[in-house]
Amino acid sequence: MTDLTYDKLKANFPDAVLGKEDFHGETTITVSPDALLKVAKFLRDDPELRYNLLLDVYGVDRMKLGQSPRFASTYELFSVPHARHVRLNVPLKDVGGGQEETPQVDSVTGIWSTANWLERETYDLMGIEFKGHPWLHRILLPQNWVGHPLRKDYPIGGEPVYFTADRDNPRFAHLGKQIMDVPAFHSELEDMDANGHLVINMGPQHPATHGVLRLAVELDGERVVSCKPEVGYLHSGFEKTGESIRYEKFIPYCDRLDYVSSMSNNLGYVMAVERLLGVEVPQHAQYARVILTELQRIASHMVWLGTHAMDVSGTIHALLMYAFYWREQILDIFEMVCGARMTTSYFNVGGLRWPLPGAFEDAVRHFLKGFPEVMKDFEAMLTDNPVWRARLEGVGVLTAEEALDLGVTGPLLRAAGEPFDLRKVKPYSSYDHFDFDIPTATEADSYARYKVRMAELWQSLRIIEQGLEKLGKGPHITDDRKVALPPRDEISTSMEALIHHFKLVTEGFKPPVGRVYGMIENPKGILAFGLISDGSAVPYRLRVRGPSFVNLQATDLMARQGLLSDIVTVVGSIDIVLGEVDR
Amino acid sequence: MGLVELNDFSITPAGGHQKDGAVGLVMANLSELVGWGRKYSLHPLLFGLACCAIEQISAGMSRFDISRFGAEVFRASPRQSDLIIISGRVSNKMAPVVRRLYDQMLEPKWVIAMGDCASCGGPFNNYAIVQGVDKIIPVDVYVPGCPPRPEALFYAILRLQQKVQKFGIGEREG
Repeated sequence: MTDLTYDKLKANFPDAVLGKEDFHGETTITVSPDALLKVAKFLRDDPELRYNLLLDVYGVDRMKLGQSPRFASTYELFSVPHARHVRLNVPLKDVGGGQEETPQVDSVTGIWSTANWLERETYDLMGIEFKGHPWLHRILLPQNWVGHPLRKDYPIGGEPVYFTADRDNPRFAHLGKQIMDVPAFHSELEDMDANGHLVINMGPQHPATHGVLRLAVELDGERVVSCKPEVGYLHSGFEKTGESIRYEKFIPYCDRLDYVSSMSNNLGYVMAVERLLGVEVPQHAQYARVILTELQRIASHMVWLGTHAMDVSGTIHALLMYAFYWREQILDIFEMVCGARMTTSYFNVGGLRWPLPGAFEDAVRHFLKGFPEVMKDFEAMLTDNPVWRARLEGVGVLTAEEALDLGVTGPLLRAAGEPFDLRKVKPYSSYDHFDFDIPTATEADSYARYKVRMAELWQSLRIIEQGLEKLGKGPHITDDRKVALPPRDEISTSMEALIHHFKLVTEGFKPPVGRVYGMIENPKGILAFGLISDGSAVPYRLRVRGPSFVNLQATDLMARQGLLSDIVTVVGSIDIVLGEVDR
Repeated sequence: MGLVELNDFSITPAGGHQKDGAVGLVMANLSELVGWGRKYSLHPLLFGLACCAIEQISAGMSRFDISRFGAEVFRASPRQSDLIIISGRVSNKMAPVVRRLYDQMLEPKWVIAMGDCASCGGPFNNYAIVQGVDKIIPVDVYVPGCPPRPEALFYAILRLQQKVQKFGIGEREG
């Protein structure tokens, strides 16, 4: 297979390009660490390549893969003009030996600014040092943490949990010992001018930060000089947990990443696993997935709209009530479909977990009948509301170049005029069968983001309507018995089905050796799951790219030179969910 | 007939005025009366951690309506609240903050551990998460569920009200 990216790299850097791997349509190019900066700059600037969006940076500890050298850092690049994806794999030189070794590589922050936080995270969790990084400190774990949890020689941790505590029993003497001292050193305050300016702390317990986000704000009067988000207060070790359980058992964890859009998270994860396995999903299931994911997009935008309106203008509290009322209608549909309101886990590898219930279509139609009226109410309440416009217009401007440089995706990028939506650019789950538009705006401020998201809601309604027409009847899950459980009645009649069932339940499926990076357009931006399989039933490396995490990095740029009160608007218009920021 | 009869406490008006509902004279045990007042005016802290916090917000919205139980005034400052609902997983980085918030609340104060993560670590038995918020602060009511439905939170509040009723006006023990 000819590959333009590889051929051009090979022609320009014959010594630096060490190899190329193709797996299920994804290309991995291995590059020598010495030439990384030159190669990266070439990939970004060459007019035929233009990899202007750095999606992800993560490290891989290859200790148990038996590969040498032990550490490799990986760069997921995307070219927005040419809709092309490539992965750079950079094996790092071993430094020293034993557990203390910290491999080093050049930082790419000078080429893509988004690498700043991504490299800090890799340093924090994997222990790879990035030379030339402007601010290499831990980001998710406390500053005084010892060790790097994602290394393979770091135990997953945890402890036995007793469900009856007895104060006199010495077995419970350890209770309460797990609290650590609050770190006295706050790295984000280091370059702030605490004498000339006022430095204030916002969060982690603050009603307008949408969770446990902490912002250190440097003020000159009421003007923001700098605003440094500190994250990690909800760090839950998703990646480490995912690397200790079987593929299918991570599906419920996805729900808890971005917990207001669990259907979308499920879809992103199961599609990554399906690509790894090479499984085809039945058409009926694909359409059902589209309908449910778009319903989830509406539900997620309802949470955004309600909380944003309440934060920005306290008088629009009623709107939060309305928005949540309509979110409840969607949650009722989810509950009917899978039994849970929020944490759905409804998509399974190969299709849906159960067939859709008989009343599903009627319930969705009922929702479609009522919701457009409410949308008009929302727009009547907000679009020309003078308070709303005064708080949003011209606040938090982020141009398309800045957004792409910072890796910002989703409605923020589209509000800056860049019509980049994976549903159109790289259609998945039969999105190419649907007729819908990608709403954009040009003002690039918070008000433009509001308009884009409202327009997206209308498009979602269009997609759902078309989906209901296309849905039809059909199998809800693939009949590949190596992946999906056989139906119950088959088990009692067929010996083969019984064996498949037994194997799947006791061992799970085993994908071939390889690596994939599954991307999906979540309500907040591009959510991606990177999977590396070593041929066993447990993922060797599981990487989660949370759009909220990457988008949050833009807070500093967007809040600068604004007023202190505009920070609330900025954070609200980014639409973050801390479960996904901190993972 | 008593004016209020719930669970194990009632206030019986003495004397007439049975028909117009006005209470002429009330005889009550002071500690029971204080408990009765407290249990219907819980002020939860406006504090959310993870998924359960979204269900906590849902509980406050019109469909479930937490104000039916007299606990709808969420206060943004710990110094004005007497109930903290730990709604989500508590990480090692967050644990000192949660402890400090609890310490800043004025007595008497109560804690609801909402959901599996706050109760026992839930699905996250790993290096990052404190295995149950009861390791750092005393918990009065545990709510199972991942996340619990708003109704489950209401049941916890009703159980907590029984506890508040019996609390008296003295110091918390231990």
